[in-house]
Amino acid sequence: MNDLSSLKAVDIVQKLSQNQITKEDVRGFFNKRITDLDPYIHSFVKVFTHLSPADTGLGIPIGIKDNICIKDEEITCASRILNGHRAVYDATVIGKLKQAGFLIMGTMNMDEFAFGSSTENSCYGPTRNPWDITRVPGGSSGGSAAAVAARLIPWALGSDTGGSIRQPASFCGVVGFKPTYGRVSRYGLIAFGSSLDQIGPLTTNFVDCAYLLNVICGHDPYDSTSAQVDVADFSKSLIDNVEGLKVGLPQEYFRQGLNSDIAKAIGEVAAVLKGRGAQITNISLPHTEYAVATYYIVGCSEASSNLQRFDGVKYGLRVKSSELLDMYKKTRGEGFGPESKRRIFLGTYSLSSGYYDAYYVRALKVRTLIKRDFEEAFKQVDVILTPTAPTCAFKIGEKAEDPLSMYLSDIYTISANLAGLPAVSFPCGFSKGSLPIGAQFIGRPFDEEILIRMGYTYQTVTDFHARIPLVTHG
Amino acid sequence: MIDLHIVEYIARLARIEVTEPEKEALRPQLSRILEYIDQLNVLSVEGIEPTKEPFLRENVFREDIAKNSERAEDILKNAPAVTDNHFRIPKVIG
Amino acid sequence: MAKSFETVIGLEVHVQPNTNSKIFCPCPTEFNAPANTHICPVCCGYPGVLPVFNKRALELAVRTSLALHCTINEKIYFERKNYFYPDLPKNYQISQYALPLGENGHLELSGGKKIGITRVHLEEDAGKLIHREDCSLVDFNRTGTPLLEIVSYPDMNSPQEAWEYLQMLKLIIQYIEVSSCDMEKGYLRCDANISLREEGATQLGTKIELKNMNSFKGVKDALVFEEKRQRNLLLDGKTLSQETRLWDEVKGKTVTMRTKEEAHDYRYFPEPDLVSFSVTASMITEQRQYVPELPLARTKRFIDEYGLSEKDVEVLISHRWSADFFEQSSVHFPHFKQIANWIIGPLLEITNAFPEGFSKIKMSPGEFAKLVRYFSEGTLNNITAKKVLTEALTTGVDIDKIIQEKSLIQVSDESELDGYVSDAVAEHPKSVEDYRKGKSQALMFLVGSVMKKTKGKANPKIVREMIEKKIQQ
Repeated sequence: MNDLSSLKAVDIVQKLSQNQITKEDVRGFFNKRITDLDPYIHSFVKVFTHLSPADTGLGIPIGIKDNICIKDEEITCASRILNGHRAVYDATVIGKLKQAGFLIMGTMNMDEFAFGSSTENSCYGPTRNPWDITRVPGGSSGGSAAAVAARLIPWALGSDTGGSIRQPASFCGVVGFKPTYGRVSRYGLIAFGSSLDQIGPLTTNFVDCAYLLNVICGHDPYDSTSAQVDVADFSKSLIDNVEGLKVGLPQEYFRQGLNSDIAKAIGEVAAVLKGRGAQITNISLPHTEYAVATYYIVGCSEASSNLQRFDGVKYGLRVKSSELLDMYKKTRGEGFGPESKRRIFLGTYSLSSGYYDAYYVRALKVRTLIKRDFEEAFKQVDVILTPTAPTCAFKIGEKAEDPLSMYLSDIYTISANLAGLPAVSFPCGFSKGSLPIGAQFIGRPFDEEILIRMGYTYQTVTDFHARIPLVTHG
Repeated sequence: MIDLHIVEYIARLARIEVTEPEKEALRPQLSRILEYIDQLNVLSVEGIEPTKEPFLRENVFREDIAKNSERAEDILKNAPAVTDNHFRIPKVIG
Repeated sequence: MAKSFETVIGLEVHVQPNTNSKIFCPCPTEFNAPANTHICPVCCGYPGVLPVFNKRALELAVRTSLALHCTINEKIYFERKNYFYPDLPKNYQISQYALPLGENGHLELSGGKKIGITRVHLEEDAGKLIHREDCSLVDFNRTGTPLLEIVSYPDMNSPQEAWEYLQMLKLIIQYIEVSSCDMEKGYLRCDANISLREEGATQLGTKIELKNMNSFKGVKDALVFEEKRQRNLLLDGKTLSQETRLWDEVKGKTVTMRTKEEAHDYRYFPEPDLVSFSVTASMITEQRQYVPELPLARTKRFIDEYGLSEKDVEVLISHRWSADFFEQSSVHFPHFKQIANWIIGPLLEITNAFPEGFSKIKMSPGEFAKLVRYFSEGTLNNITAKKVLTEALTTGVDIDKIIQEKSLIQVSDESELDGYVSDAVAEHPKSVEDYRKGKSQALMFLVGSVMKKTKGKANPKIVREMIEKKIQQ
């Protein structure tokens, strides 16, 4: 059989549509990779072995983060509390994928309810980084990123609330794209932070990224926050030319705490872009250091309310009790993992009587300041270039006892969510320890096109994205 | 800053049973996180409008057209307990 | 000397506006559907779902705010009210808190007193719980139905005044066609706050919240009970503590539900799944068109302009349709008293028996006016006019056609009636004798027998004269 692992996903789509390969062959190829390699990586929650007879589509394989509803399939958010729950409807993005001939290969592991940056907070156990299985793949979309990196699937969908697509993409050496807030419908995405969440693609390259964005973007009447903004054909942005475009390097992103290999790699990205005719300038985003604190208040407040629906009454886990209040407490006490509890507590606290103004309202005001920083910056530049994360993939268990240090691993990705901006992480090198490094582009609202154009140009002259990890046993 | 009393109050509000060791662990963890969050207090936010949504949009409506979802059966099938087409729950006390 | 107290009452009313679908999903709002049939992932709080706001609900809320003379906040947004209860699938209610749609309105009672309205806002309803011996059952059909919350200032000073406020509020909401306000169906629900303070005191007394009243009478009875209970406690020198009490209709008393210590911490915050809304000038203009002259103003005008009695006007005004019908009919036949009499009498009598009431009648005001005119001109008598009315109301056929088809025109021609009169006199000699002896009822009997034989068509006045003449011959 053809080795499909080095092909772009769009090439597989083309072969399928031109009948150069059957969908059974494609499915067989990736199924075999999953069977062979996933025992080491553990990126899937569930591999779909059944094929719907109604599935007459092209058969383009894809993996879906386990917080996006697929009708009639179990959906878990990697939490015990959803035990046995089956989605009764398709998320809007799933409907679009099915329409476009995609075949869902399975559901991907994640941090419980997307709370985390390592995919360790899963009731199914951690996913491992295919570049070094003693390390985390990042998170929360760690299953999606690891599986794409190891070519167990050609591409996947994740969700990003504070970096949950981009940070694992950087740890695993793939392209992870968070569209502008409102670009992709959230209908059917199990909410974490409703004003922050976006679904986005994880791919090995920008060509695939543009293709998948074309499939999933667009206004949805079922999502009131979905943007009524025209969506361009993103394949038209695959232009190998960045001549004259202005790239800003925010100084606040290159201070203490940034790993030196990463700092160096980002400098090299800037050099490559400059070599292609882009203009590099230093800019300032002065409220950067407040982003993490702001994010944890806003995100956890929204999450604490969003997760109240998991109560053992309507679906999922119910711990037996003869009395309702006790049933609530036991079900939620046993159903949620430690990180979920921490965030629910934090959110409940910051919304509670007497603390609301001091925490929640203040955070929303700082959010305004952070947003304004970007508005100012985009008066000077067309795109912002930053590291995606301050470090490369860390060891499994390394940050388990220190929630705050885990939170700080999203320090460079969070601002884009607070400001609603499109942002993408893409591979730009390897550390001395041979771990992937990710760089991030942040763009103006609804200007996904420039990110694709920048990334595509970069990938025409580099090959970091084409390297495939050799998954080894320990 | 976060004492046991607050942990218990929040646990009650959030309807989450926490064991004694969990409470002991949560107290310093939450305190540390809140201490970090308190750095926001150095900023002056007077006169700044809060951002409740990334982009201000208005008046997204649906028309008042009734439609049966055809999902009622599936929804009841997901319920932990059903009696006479109702969701059955433990007795509500108080 | 006994102290005297002033009673202070405020009411919180929930009204279900008559939308076809729920406030944030397309499920039908139909009453009494089998349990859990009008549900969907959205109103059942399924993971991943999002609300989309029903425009009609906002329009009806704007209309209500206008009718209650509220200031309308141009920019509004929804908030989440967080609390766990099994009839609330998301364990938060989408409601309005900091910024309600309407504020600072008022409602005028018939005596002229104005009761202030603090706020009118929109929210979603909860489901229904059935409590059984060993478990509880939940039905989510009603979950997500729109509700208007209308909160008054504590401006009422007696249970009677509270009752009048409710009557007037209901009438206004029916007038503006926002809701039928049918309390039995739960389309209108009312909670009350009541406190007593010493006459002349400026501070309000301790507030007691009353719940579980299922009728206007229940509201009044509960307030009367509570007023007396509080007065007795205060006279005994006791202090009240703030609490919520439930009205027990069977026992006719209120009982403690929860005290203030257990009060909720609702953690309100802006609903991030919905955008903001701005009430446009065009929406206000459009809704204002649906706010007609309100009942109180109309009452005054009906008395002044049409010279009707207060009692008659009260009946006409009690439904918007009867008042409208009166005015529309009067245009065609401006004999106001007669039109009013025919509405208050026969028309209401007939339509009250209709299962769907007035809404399904098929007669136009023009036709109705013609009927009243025929009666007053003697073309139809009382009996035939009612016959024609009944038929026209149910079929919508023109009354001229009904009269012609059934040949119901009143017969006043003596030559046509002579035979019937002679027969009646001949067939009832005893009655003739009784009449001669001075029993006037006997004459009515004889007239009645002619009416019967002529199937009601005879002109009773002429018949009577003819019989009298015949007997005296």
